[in-house]
Amino acid sequence: MPAWTVPLEAYQLVAALLFTIGLIGVLVRRSALIIFMSIELMLNAVNLSFVTFSKQHAQMDGQIFVFFVMSVAAAEVAVGLAILVSIFRSRETANVDEVHLLKG
Amino acid sequence: MLEPILFTLFSIIAIVFAFNVIFRRNAVHCALHLVGVLLSLSGMFVLLNAPFIAAIQILIYAGAIMVLFLFVVMLLNVKGDAALLTPGGWKGFGFFFALIMFVELLYVVLSQGGTEGTPAQTIALPPGFGSPAEIGRILYSTWLFPFEVTSILLLIAVIGAVVLAKRKFA
Repeated sequence: MPAWTVPLEAYQLVAALLFTIGLIGVLVRRSALIIFMSIELMLNAVNLSFVTFSKQHAQMDGQIFVFFVMSVAAAEVAVGLAILVSIFRSRETANVDEVHLLKG
Repeated sequence: MLEPILFTLFSIIAIVFAFNVIFRRNAVHCALHLVGVLLSLSGMFVLLNAPFIAAIQILIYAGAIMVLFLFVVMLLNVKGDAALLTPGGWKGFGFFFALIMFVELLYVVLSQGGTEGTPAQTIALPPGFGSPAEIGRILYSTWLFPFEVTSILLLIAVIGAVVLAKRKFA
């Protein structure tokens, strides 16, 4: 009986779909919080892609990259949410369409 | 036999919850659905012979980062009565651009064009693949310098977050 396995392209398809959903979230939502969550979604899609390639090549460098992506994501979330708190304190909104001080 | 079932389950959960993340009105619901996406991705990492990555996915993402998200959501207490999506033509542009991006990604995944140097799928994995011991061995030998740079990055992020979130700028 042959082993019934999932082709690795299927994992890449899921990663592509999750990345696209995250991209839609970044482009169409107005709340900065949801935009941050969508960025996390995109980073996770890329992580899935990295792990899939890591298995496909039988090399663990892809998994190490996931490690670095996670630490960059943690740094990004900490700084981004601090900026968000700072904006909310001065402008009373988390809506990116209303934060246009630099627009002139 | 078990892998296709689990893969289908995890991928459906991940995609449905991801749509909920970007189309829910309540930010707390969005954050909790994002936790669901992260957990099902962690399950996929286990299927892909990456148990250590799956563990730190749960610990760091679903644990630390999502707690930070929920904390800020509840701290800000954003009112949900504003329009959900960005108005007018930009919304259509956003969906259109995402569609183009998805078609491009599909082309890259499904075409055989960029697969030079990619081994056949049934390559044998070395023993200990994805185990913490192997990850540690590579991380502290080949990737030692990037690892140290990461520590500086995290230090900068901590200082930046404290400075930015201070009540008054000095």
